[in-house]
Amino acid sequence: MSFMRNNTIKSIFYVIATILLVLLPFYVGQYTVTTFIRIIYFGFLSLSMGFLIGQGGMVSLTQTAFFGLSGYIIGLFGVERGLIFPWPDLMAIGAVLILAFLFGIIAMRTHKIVFLMITLAFGQVCWAFAAQNTTILRGWSGIRGIRPFVIYGINFNEYQNFYWASLVLFFLSVFILWRITKSPFGLALNGIRENPKRMAAIGYPVYWIRVVAFLIAAVYAGLGGILAAYNTGIIMPTTIQLSRTIWVLLTVILGGASYFFGPIVGTAIAVWLDVLISGVTERYNLVIGVIFLLIVLFSPTGVIGIFDTLRKDKKFTITNIFSFKKRRYIQKHKRRW
Amino acid sequence: MELKFTILILNGLTQAAILFVLGSGLTLAFGLMRVVNLGHGAFYMLGGYLGWSVVKATGNWPLALIVGGLAIALLGLLFEKTMLGRVRGRDLPETLLTVALSMIISDICLIFWARTAITLNVPQYLNPPITLLGLTYPGFRYLMMAISIFIAVSLWVILYKTNLGRAVRAGVDDRETVSALGININKIYSIVFVLSALLAGLAGVLGGSYLQLSPGGDTTILTLSLVVIIVGGMGSLLGAVVSSIILGQIMSFGLAFAPQYSYFLIFIPMALVLALRPQGLFGRQI
Repeated sequence: MSFMRNNTIKSIFYVIATILLVLLPFYVGQYTVTTFIRIIYFGFLSLSMGFLIGQGGMVSLTQTAFFGLSGYIIGLFGVERGLIFPWPDLMAIGAVLILAFLFGIIAMRTHKIVFLMITLAFGQVCWAFAAQNTTILRGWSGIRGIRPFVIYGINFNEYQNFYWASLVLFFLSVFILWRITKSPFGLALNGIRENPKRMAAIGYPVYWIRVVAFLIAAVYAGLGGILAAYNTGIIMPTTIQLSRTIWVLLTVILGGASYFFGPIVGTAIAVWLDVLISGVTERYNLVIGVIFLLIVLFSPTGVIGIFDTLRKDKKFTITNIFSFKKRRYIQKHKRRW
Repeated sequence: MELKFTILILNGLTQAAILFVLGSGLTLAFGLMRVVNLGHGAFYMLGGYLGWSVVKATGNWPLALIVGGLAIALLGLLFEKTMLGRVRGRDLPETLLTVALSMIISDICLIFWARTAITLNVPQYLNPPITLLGLTYPGFRYLMMAISIFIAVSLWVILYKTNLGRAVRAGVDDRETVSALGININKIYSIVFVLSALLAGLAGVLGGSYLQLSPGGDTTILTLSLVVIIVGGMGSLLGAVVSSIILGQIMSFGLAFAPQYSYFLIFIPMALVLALRPQGLFGRQI
């Protein structure tokens, strides 16, 4: 029961946060709610990449392609063929799984930096195909007019309903991924992150565990892609271009790749930064590039890492955020991730 | 018909010249430092834009080549000394730093050269029509091939005939032993990274004179150079030569016969190589 007591404050915090999120459409305007929807679908994408980086030690730059693929499937079958609700979505997830399997069995033969390069190239293959195929995927103009459905009398075209649906899906998915992380499978994955050779030596099918992790991550990217396609109503090659992938990588690092919730926190910060900065300057990429640089150089554990370090120090007050001792503490723990 | 094929092959070789200068820089840095410089495309673009400005101001193309190359080399030196050196030996932070740098560079390029697409002007005295074997072809493209061959030979001489090259090649195999032998491996890292940046800058000026420079083009260039080194084998100079020739021909013929998929086609050799020989044509198992 001490477990409960220690976490009381934390639990209260989570409950309040959940209530605030659920009641969001009642006290803020449409623009803010739409921004939260953006955080949710990019959160899926970021979570997908963050899961591979944080749990499996694999920096995959293909995730955005899965995000785009499910959007394209929704566009092709939902808009152009006119299939009704669950079918385009199920087909999207199916297509994502097939593509992820094909990419996975090739890419998982490599490790670390070579893996990164190969997944980057895979992502670019998809981008090149989407951009240059004018007959099916409509080239640069993409597929327009994607709209959510009316299911059981609930019209998901209304932004409040769409927000709640996204939020429920998000909570559910995050919870499942959390359970996966803590399961024997997740622990095996952590072991592979630390030392694949040893895990193979004690009898784990390293290659297949990595492939399955890749599939799980791809499904999360695909779910995000479905929500994004419905919300923006359009899917085009710029959705899956490399700069988007790099932005997602940034959100993962910004929040803290070694923390489960890091990618979500990072996405929330990056999206809100986008909203705040875009009113002041067009140089969003410059600002976020500099932030990226500083995070990598001075605080590789990300924003959550900074707060975590401060809390462990038991000296978290406003006055000593930038104190010298803290910097040394962070430096000492730089190698954590 | 024969004439057309010859021209396509020559176009392919011109393309290969650019691809080689690009890919050799990346492969050099990767071979020794195990750093994938994801800012390579941004280096290329900045070099090209600087060269464009120099040509616009002075009309002197050779000067543009030198300025573009040296400016990027200097940038590479600064970046290596102040940032990359701080996270040495840790793959992920090293790569992420180059990613961050590429974001910053491409946005800065957007501030100063926010144009749709530009091409460097090549002066007439560098671009005489040359007739070889009954075929007239722009002289500047022969010049590009010549520069590329010159770079390939110089790299070969540096890597295989000098003490620096011997240290670099030894460092590829075993960096601990090299530094235990009293060679300053950090200095060698810096030299190699600067050389790699220099090559990216030169490639930018060369490529900017043949292809177009446009905002956002850095990711395309980065992908091309990654494909070159994946096909050729990471860290292999010979691999970069062979794969850039193959890819150059594919790009040239693809543009002529299947323009819709010209960019997509270059990934086919990559897929084949990854499936059949994952370390690349001339690479070693990493």
